[in-house]
Amino acid sequence: MMARCGPLSLLLVCLLPAFGAPAIESVEHGLWSLLPVAVLAAVAVRAVGITLRRMALGLVAAGSIAVSTWLYGGHDLDTAVGASLRIIYLIAPGAIASTYLEPSSLADHLAQRLRLPPRVVVAASAALQRLDEVGEQWRQIGRARRARGVGAEGGPVRRVRVGATMAVALLVSTMRLSGRMSVAMDARGFARAQRRTWAEPAPWRPADSVAALAGVALAVVPWLLR
Amino acid sequence: MSQHTSTTTPSTSSTSARAAAGRRGHRTALAQRPLLAWRTIDLMTAAMVGVTMGVVFWGWNFFYAFASPAFTATAAPFVGLLGGTWLLAGVLGGLIVRRPGAALFAEMLAAAVSALLGNEWGWTTLYSGVLQGFGAELILLLFLYKRFSLVVAVLAGMMAAAVEMTYEWNIYWAGFDTAWKLVYLGAFMFSGAVIAGGGGWLLTRALARTGAIDAMPPAQELHESRAV
Amino acid sequence: MLRDLDLSIAPGERVLLAGPSGAGKSTLLRAIAGVLLTADVGDLAGEVRVDGADPHEHPGRVALLLQDPTASLVAERIGRDVAFGLENLRLPREQIWPQVAEALTAVGLPYPLDHRTHALSGGETQRLALAGALAMRPGVLLLDEPTSMLDPGLAAEVRAAVADVVRRRGSTLVVVEHRMEGWVDLVDRVVVLDEAGAVVADGPPDRVLAEHRDALLAQGVWVPGAGDPKPADIDHALVGPYQEAAGTLVEATEIVLRHTWRTHTGERRITVALDGVCERLDAGRILAVTGASGAGKSTLVSVLGGLARPTSGAVHAGPLGSDRPLWKWRSSALARRLAWVPQQPEHAIVARTVLDEVLTAARATDRESWARRRADALLQAVGVAHLAAANPYQVSGGEQRRIMLAAALAHGPQVLLLDEPTVGQDRTTWSLVAGLAAAARDAGVAVGMATHDLLAVDTVGDRHTALSHGRAR
Repeated sequence: MMARCGPLSLLLVCLLPAFGAPAIESVEHGLWSLLPVAVLAAVAVRAVGITLRRMALGLVAAGSIAVSTWLYGGHDLDTAVGASLRIIYLIAPGAIASTYLEPSSLADHLAQRLRLPPRVVVAASAALQRLDEVGEQWRQIGRARRARGVGAEGGPVRRVRVGATMAVALLVSTMRLSGRMSVAMDARGFARAQRRTWAEPAPWRPADSVAALAGVALAVVPWLLR
Repeated sequence: MSQHTSTTTPSTSSTSARAAAGRRGHRTALAQRPLLAWRTIDLMTAAMVGVTMGVVFWGWNFFYAFASPAFTATAAPFVGLLGGTWLLAGVLGGLIVRRPGAALFAEMLAAAVSALLGNEWGWTTLYSGVLQGFGAELILLLFLYKRFSLVVAVLAGMMAAAVEMTYEWNIYWAGFDTAWKLVYLGAFMFSGAVIAGGGGWLLTRALARTGAIDAMPPAQELHESRAV
Repeated sequence: MLRDLDLSIAPGERVLLAGPSGAGKSTLLRAIAGVLLTADVGDLAGEVRVDGADPHEHPGRVALLLQDPTASLVAERIGRDVAFGLENLRLPREQIWPQVAEALTAVGLPYPLDHRTHALSGGETQRLALAGALAMRPGVLLLDEPTSMLDPGLAAEVRAAVADVVRRRGSTLVVVEHRMEGWVDLVDRVVVLDEAGAVVADGPPDRVLAEHRDALLAQGVWVPGAGDPKPADIDHALVGPYQEAAGTLVEATEIVLRHTWRTHTGERRITVALDGVCERLDAGRILAVTGASGAGKSTLVSVLGGLARPTSGAVHAGPLGSDRPLWKWRSSALARRLAWVPQQPEHAIVARTVLDEVLTAARATDRESWARRRADALLQAVGVAHLAAANPYQVSGGEQRRIMLAAALAHGPQVLLLDEPTVGQDRTTWSLVAGLAAAARDAGVAVGMATHDLLAVDTVGDRHTALSHGRAR
């Protein structure tokens, strides 16, 4: 069912649990609140591998929060584990839903459904297309520094220093790229496209309403269970 | 089908901005008015600052993962000192483009990239992005988008940290005692001031010197200060 | 930039714009396309009229293609990318898609509309950009060095697509290309600008190229039929290694390099960049690695330099001082023995001034005093001595390339690796780059070069490996 959801409703599933998470304080409360999340997981997980990977990252965060909370929040095990469950509640629905999320259609939906300014949304979308390239440029910049004897290695101070100079070099490169992209886009009429049409529609299907309701439920359930 | 004639002659002023005289004769270059009339280059610059900083954040996440256990073991709330880097996208976007919403836009995109590349917090990183960008935006708004000095940058970095803290207070650090949270807030704001504010201001000037942001106000500022 | 330029182009004319770098050719094209104020700063006087109107008033009537094929990409799928211009023109959805399909057919891209833009080659991306422009039914096509980044095969594809379009639609064409072969046959008029941006010649190709041949050659323009440039003569003492070495310096065996990456939706994609390649770098020899884009040339060169870690296989450089795999070497150790110049030299810039740039590796390897004289002489030899105090970001592309090459040689590496060193360069820079590589080779340096420039391979290459899909042919 989630495969038929558009990006907006999926984003709601990713974002709304953040309103429910603060309500979780104890372990028991947390476990009961996570029940609907488990149901969601059972129903909707696809690409188990990547979902688990995202969850794993979140679990690491949850674990470290638990340790820190225990150390600095009064040595209370219940509070500490509760804190980690809060983090899990925050992240898990997003880990599940984001595997269905296609960023490229997000622009269409944001502009057509939410009526955000079209040029802003398209600019963001075009910039996001460059992500892989920017990543590759970062790697090239790193290689060049390594080859010249000024690579990012050794202690943290050196790594941060070299990293900072790499960030500057990366920004120079991407700022030039943004100039070229702007010229190309204006040549295709973007400068005056404050109102424009959209080649792809942005439908809201029944599945979207269901997902949206699920998101709202996740925001509300922990408060109701108190 | 088409026929054209063209005559072009070079001269000296810039198409991008007019300068406003500030204190002590320092001239701040402003974005071309009307402020809300974003040119394509403004949009793409802010967007690419966001995407680029998102990649930098991803790199910084690794450093954070490596460094934070050291803090947890010794002086945990001072881990806030590492937080300023994540505020840099918004401050930088605002300092370069100098239009309302630039800081917010850049910081949100950086957060989105961070989520796309895969981090612990997933799409909830967007909340941080919105709040951090909004914090920087508040300060720039306070100065009516007419002042972009080091002081303004530092304040923007601090406010970004403070606004983000309202979210982290209840979500990440909810089980901690208040004293801890306040020290963290202090460290975070200090980091915002130094890394995002000071760092962002220096970065803007460095970028202007390379000629990569020639169509933006900071380059105009540099050009005029050199012409004097 | 441009100065007092008066130019008139009739409908259906095909013009080639020539002149040295910095003459303002790109600026002129942007002015005609109505995008001069987008990213440029400077002062504008005079006017441009297309069909009697200001080009700003009618977006899409004048199409502009840039040198960087990926600059025009805005969408994830090709159909949507082409539709971009039509969306900006506020065409209703039903009318957009037929025009998209028509434009894609016109440029000869046989893929379905939802084909990913990232999966296109450089030449296909340029043709996609052309389709995106054609969808808006332009009367004028402006091409700003559209093929200079592409290998000869892909360049020919793009030229053929343009020729086809221009012939069928009768569009007016203005091309800027410093490598003129191929384009000269297509155009009926050549306009030459000088360094100051003024018109010095204007007329039919054969006449203009015959009359101004020497002047054009002096400016570094690749005049067809003028013979190939010779590598410049560089003093061996300037490029020789700090420490002599002989024999095979770097040896790579059975290199396999697989990129595994996950898309946001969880699909796992694996691309094999190198598949069981064995290669070596010998002192005093130039190895040329050729192949189509994506064949793995740059990757192989990076692996040979210890800058990319292979998935499996071994890379050793025992004669250079250590038996550890090359990709494990510390940065300073690597810098002492070898040098690498990336495809885009600006990625390697680390210093504030050109002189500091050239001395960077020397300082990192404690050879500054030794390298100091060489650095000054190298800057002189490549013709950028007057820029020694300049900001490396502020110099032209060709100058940057020469500077980074000087920076690679100043500290006396035993191995020199070059990634596409001659792409998009004028004759003068070509000759200096080739000259430096040849001189280094003659002085005993092992040189490895990833290139699609067959002239460079023939002129200075000693050994030649052709890669295809990651394998040696």
